[in-house]
Amino acid sequence: MSVAQAESTEIQLEAPSGLWRDAWFRLVRNPGAIVGFSFILVFLFTAIFAPWLAPHDPVEQNLLLIANGCCPGPSSEHLFGVDPLGRDLFSRIIYGARYSLIIGIVSVAIGLSVGLVLGAIAGYVGGFVDSAIMRVMDVMLAIPGLLLAIGIVAALGPGLKEVMIAVGLANVPIFARLLRGSVLAQREADFVLAARSVGIRRPQILFSHILPNSLSPVIVQGTLAMATAIIDVAGLGFLGIGLKDPDETPEWGSMLTEVNEYLQVAPFLALIPGTAIVVSVLGFNLIGDGLREALDPKLRGR
Amino acid sequence: MLKFVVRRLLLLVPILVGLSILVFVWVRALPGSPADSLLGERSTPALVKEYEERFGLDEPVYVQYWKYVQTTAHFDFGVSAASHRHVTTEIKERFPATMELALVAMIFSVGLGVPLGFLAAKRHGGIFDHGSLFVSLIGISIPVFFLAILLKYLFSVRLGWLPSVGRIDVTSEVKHPTNFYILDAIIERDWKTLVDVLKHLILPAVALGSIPLAIVARITRAAVLDVQNEDYVRTARAKGLPPQAVDRRHILRNALLPISTIIGLQTGLLLSGAILTETVFAFPGMGSWLREAIFNRDYAVLQGGILFLALVFVLVNLIVDISYAIINPRIRYS
Repeated sequence: MSVAQAESTEIQLEAPSGLWRDAWFRLVRNPGAIVGFSFILVFLFTAIFAPWLAPHDPVEQNLLLIANGCCPGPSSEHLFGVDPLGRDLFSRIIYGARYSLIIGIVSVAIGLSVGLVLGAIAGYVGGFVDSAIMRVMDVMLAIPGLLLAIGIVAALGPGLKEVMIAVGLANVPIFARLLRGSVLAQREADFVLAARSVGIRRPQILFSHILPNSLSPVIVQGTLAMATAIIDVAGLGFLGIGLKDPDETPEWGSMLTEVNEYLQVAPFLALIPGTAIVVSVLGFNLIGDGLREALDPKLRGR
Repeated sequence: MLKFVVRRLLLLVPILVGLSILVFVWVRALPGSPADSLLGERSTPALVKEYEERFGLDEPVYVQYWKYVQTTAHFDFGVSAASHRHVTTEIKERFPATMELALVAMIFSVGLGVPLGFLAAKRHGGIFDHGSLFVSLIGISIPVFFLAILLKYLFSVRLGWLPSVGRIDVTSEVKHPTNFYILDAIIERDWKTLVDVLKHLILPAVALGSIPLAIVARITRAAVLDVQNEDYVRTARAKGLPPQAVDRRHILRNALLPISTIIGLQTGLLLSGAILTETVFAFPGMGSWLREAIFNRDYAVLQGGILFLALVFVLVNLIVDISYAIINPRIRYS
């Protein structure tokens, strides 16, 4: 090893390992988070490549298949069996991943961005603005989450976009409170005072000093919110008030709506979509927990 | 203490006003007129007009809101367009069902969750600890309606141990003066009905209580882990107190503080979950009632029901806050 090489390795060893780097190393050593990652990878892969993975059309009905009563169980032709309308359940589950993923991501993005802006403004500006924003949040929090989402869907009408908005808006108060608390805690911190004393303008302090330091709880909450969003979407689907044609759309929650009648003869109709929901939600919860531990070493093992 | 309670009560006022405006505006924003959805195919312009007059829907919005506030203040939520009965009467029938369900679910989750979390913390790092963490993780990842369907399949369809729908045996002709079936059966000393009612409650309550159970167990575990390394616990041990006494008087009592706040927040989860659970078990509570109301565009029911539930939620949180201040004197002075 030449001196130059030795020096470079030494420098690498001495390089300060930042919060994110540290967190990353802790995350990949967490078996729970790895399991979560693999669940999510499968989920993402399925959602993105659904048209190539699904052996059948998810909405094509084949009534001949159920001519001998409902419903033929898993077979080599139909891996997960067929539903009461003769549709291939395996293909429906695969396409269902798309709905959960898209609705989950967009709704969390809505909740996160609106919540962050409101929370940051409330925390940083303070005074009347703070009270006004937070009282509105209190009113929203006074209505239980799913009820609020149901209410918004009922007002906007059913549809993909509407469900995203509903689930997203129901998330707004959570993020607003989180960020407000974080901003309040930092407003008087030394680095903010330092920034102010050298004459940096208030919006810039907020966006380039305070917000980056509030990021880690937001990332953790965002991951966990993905999990709740998938559950909420499935809940709306199950109640039949989410999408335009709950019977047609291969959405996991709405697949569970009519299984009540078939529990006796075809319990797999309930088990399979339900398991799909649990696995994807579990994946996000595992990653969220892993991130929380990785980003906040105090919580390790809790 | 009194100051704290008064301040907390005053904070309620803007929330209630905001809530009433929100609910009122929201109901007006619903698509399709209630007259149309009620009359269905029989709908003619004349009939619609008659309906709108009867329910005051032809007046200006601010007049409607003022009327609504006045009547709501008297706990008069109007008449259901679907059943033609007073919303208040229906709430009197429906709410006890949901409250009974939520209470049993809460007892289940706290009664099981606290000991589980405590044991997990005591055996920190052991198999039991990892096992309970894993189970609670599944618990928060499973949608309540899926769990309800699973329980229904296993215990009523497969094993036939418990009834799968309703609140009481359909052939029962027992009267229910308070509409709290458990209470009524105990007052009447009607043990056969009591057993029947409890049997109908077990599956929905377990389904509804599972998520709170997972959360309570996790919070208890974290709180006990936090508390057990405190100085006063070490002092208590050093004094030579028996371990059980330290566990009970020093660790658990302090660990219960964060748990009590969680209970208030769980109420919202229970009310949301009740809509789904009641749908699976055809349980005649507030949840299934509101769900029907959405499909029927039953303005009065939606308005009254949601406002009522939000009120319950706010009140439960108020009670939790106040009792928290009683248990934990540190909070009163901050």
